[in-house]
Amino acid sequence: MSKDGLRYTFKLRKGITFHDGTAIERQIDPDHPFSKLGKYPFANYNFGNVKAVEVVDPSTVEFVLKEPRASFLAVLTAGAASVVSPTAVKKFGADYALQPVGTGPFKYVSWDRGQRVVLEKNARYWRYPVKIDRVVYRPIVEDQARLTELLTGSLDVIVGVPPDFVGQLEANARVTLLKQVGAHVWYLGINNQKKPFDDKRVRQALNYAVNKDAIVRDVLKGTGSLSRGPVLPATWGAEPMLKPYPFDPERARKLLAEAGYPNGFSTSLWVPESGSGMQSPVAMSTVIQSNLKAVGVTVALQTMEWGAYLAKLRTKEQELFALSWMAGNEDPDMVMYPLLHSSQWTPTGPNRALYKNARFDEVLHQARLTTDQGKRAEFYREAQRILVDDPPWIFIDHEIQTAAHAKRVQGLKLHPSFDLRVETISLK
Amino acid sequence: MRRYLVRRLLLLVPVLLGVSIIIFMVLHLAPGDPAEIMLGSQATHADLARLRADLGLTEPLYVQYVRWLGLVVRGDLGRSIWMKRPVLAEVLGRFQATLVLTGAALLLSTVGGVALGVASATRPNSLLDRLSAVASLFGASMPVFWLGIVLMVVFALWLGWLPASGMFSPYGGGDLGDLLVHLVLPAVTLAAASVTIIARLTRSTMLETLGQDYIRTARAKGVVERAVVLRHGLKNALIPIVTVVGVQAGYLLGGAVLTETVFAWPGVGTLMVQGILARDFPLVQGCVLVVALSFVLINLAVDLLYAWLDPRIRYE
Repeated sequence: MSKDGLRYTFKLRKGITFHDGTAIERQIDPDHPFSKLGKYPFANYNFGNVKAVEVVDPSTVEFVLKEPRASFLAVLTAGAASVVSPTAVKKFGADYALQPVGTGPFKYVSWDRGQRVVLEKNARYWRYPVKIDRVVYRPIVEDQARLTELLTGSLDVIVGVPPDFVGQLEANARVTLLKQVGAHVWYLGINNQKKPFDDKRVRQALNYAVNKDAIVRDVLKGTGSLSRGPVLPATWGAEPMLKPYPFDPERARKLLAEAGYPNGFSTSLWVPESGSGMQSPVAMSTVIQSNLKAVGVTVALQTMEWGAYLAKLRTKEQELFALSWMAGNEDPDMVMYPLLHSSQWTPTGPNRALYKNARFDEVLHQARLTTDQGKRAEFYREAQRILVDDPPWIFIDHEIQTAAHAKRVQGLKLHPSFDLRVETISLK
Repeated sequence: MRRYLVRRLLLLVPVLLGVSIIIFMVLHLAPGDPAEIMLGSQATHADLARLRADLGLTEPLYVQYVRWLGLVVRGDLGRSIWMKRPVLAEVLGRFQATLVLTGAALLLSTVGGVALGVASATRPNSLLDRLSAVASLFGASMPVFWLGIVLMVVFALWLGWLPASGMFSPYGGGDLGDLLVHLVLPAVTLAAASVTIIARLTRSTMLETLGQDYIRTARAKGVVERAVVLRHGLKNALIPIVTVVGVQAGYLLGGAVLTETVFAWPGVGTLMVQGILARDFPLVQGCVLVVALSFVLINLAVDLLYAWLDPRIRYE
């Protein structure tokens, strides 16, 4: 990385080949249309800040950024930044995504839609010898079917154990249950621009009114950890002194009275029936609805199908809404900037709470410009303190991802990104 | 007869056209679009606009519909937005799995239902008749997904006799025997409601037929009871039974969605559900078209069966 933080140089490792035999060196395409990447939405989200890619020599490549962005290396770990075989891309064209060729520990073999995806071990994997020969992925939507297949030995690993089965699997000697907090946050969004929510005392009151402990314990059966803000407590740059808002209805009522609502008010809460990272949205929202009722806030719950829900949130008509976010990695910028910086208001970006706090905006911007991790952490800690005092949402929880595996499976580790990483597995 | 057949087949065109217009409108009127769902909650407004333009979603609805219809006429159902593959091959591949499942369920429910119905009609108010009445009530009032899960827990988890889900074993397998063991639980689940309906209907029409004068005549002539019941009784009771079996065939095709989801059966029902959730317009339209077509053809087959069963019915 250059001193000004604008130039990142990468040296390619020698002697690595793609699954189709193409050597990784000398494969950098000098005419690669990085400048046209803006055409591809995810490329824009991840690489919108890349100005140019320059080939120095066949095994050296440089990325030039438009402005310094300390999270750039973290962005490069995203799936959309994977290095793929140029021979295969040329050969398959638009169908490349159906015939992926990379350098990873497993090679793509086949995909029967709705039935299975088969991967085979890459014997030439450069980091270490891969210990299993074949991986078969099967989509099984019905929870009971997934569980039955695991308990009868037809499957080795299942992911996304439903909360109601957690206790049963923990007690079962034939399987092992894994749990780990993921880079995820579930929040009850508040439209910060609408009355009465433009008064921060009202937003604080809502945070005091909700019994997060009960949600995590009774609805999620322990598959969530209390949230004190958007940033995971264990991440670098997390503010260690923060505490989750305690459940204090008395205080909530007092704050509402101070803000001029001694008798509460009525509002609406939009909830998707399901959706990526949404845990148990309807059950969780129902608890929140009854908690708010207890402090005088009458909430009309409206459930919607996921696609319809995302479209509705762009109208800016929302008052309260349930949503979650998976950052993909643990850089604090990747969760706070898109969700809460005022330049990211919907429909331009994902700040659907329409949150705007001038000091918060400034701190996040400064943190992007420095590349000194210590200084960045300082800025992010301040940003989190601002968010607790002037809350944009009702903070609820971070999902604890779950997986269960048969006893013969060794070495499976859960990854904070929620990706299932099978390369460390071996069989007994 | 031939003219009748041609007329019925020609009628297919307006029916399918109507179905396709309705499904096209319903899908496009529902809020949310494929771009929104593909890009998820992280997409920016500009990204969405670009993808919509790429997918041709910004054109007026009638232009999109006419373009799609142009493809269909040439035997091409378009390309799935979500899977990026031609729809026709995908739908037909999945439709085979659905046909296997519904065919098996229809066979089970017809054979089982008629046998039960005849048995209870020949011995009204016997123990078997009463048991079958109770079983019918049970079968008709149980939700499919619940019955499926109960069967799965008992036969796959507790007893370990049958596999819990899928169409073939994940490793090896793939032969007929493998398919049959995987077929048992979903087929029984899907057939449960139909078998009771067919059994009750068979019982009542058989009771009516067995009370007719020609049955008494047949018995008086000394025809053996077995032949009286099957040849003189059942054959004459078949018309309403065939009607209801035809209706059930359509119902099973549609009802397979839930069963397919519970048992991870790779049929057209699960494909359609995934297509709807992804707002994959070409895919859903393709699925609906294929299902509608088979529904209409089943109805036609039932009508033709009437004439074969009862020579008094003729089509001109």
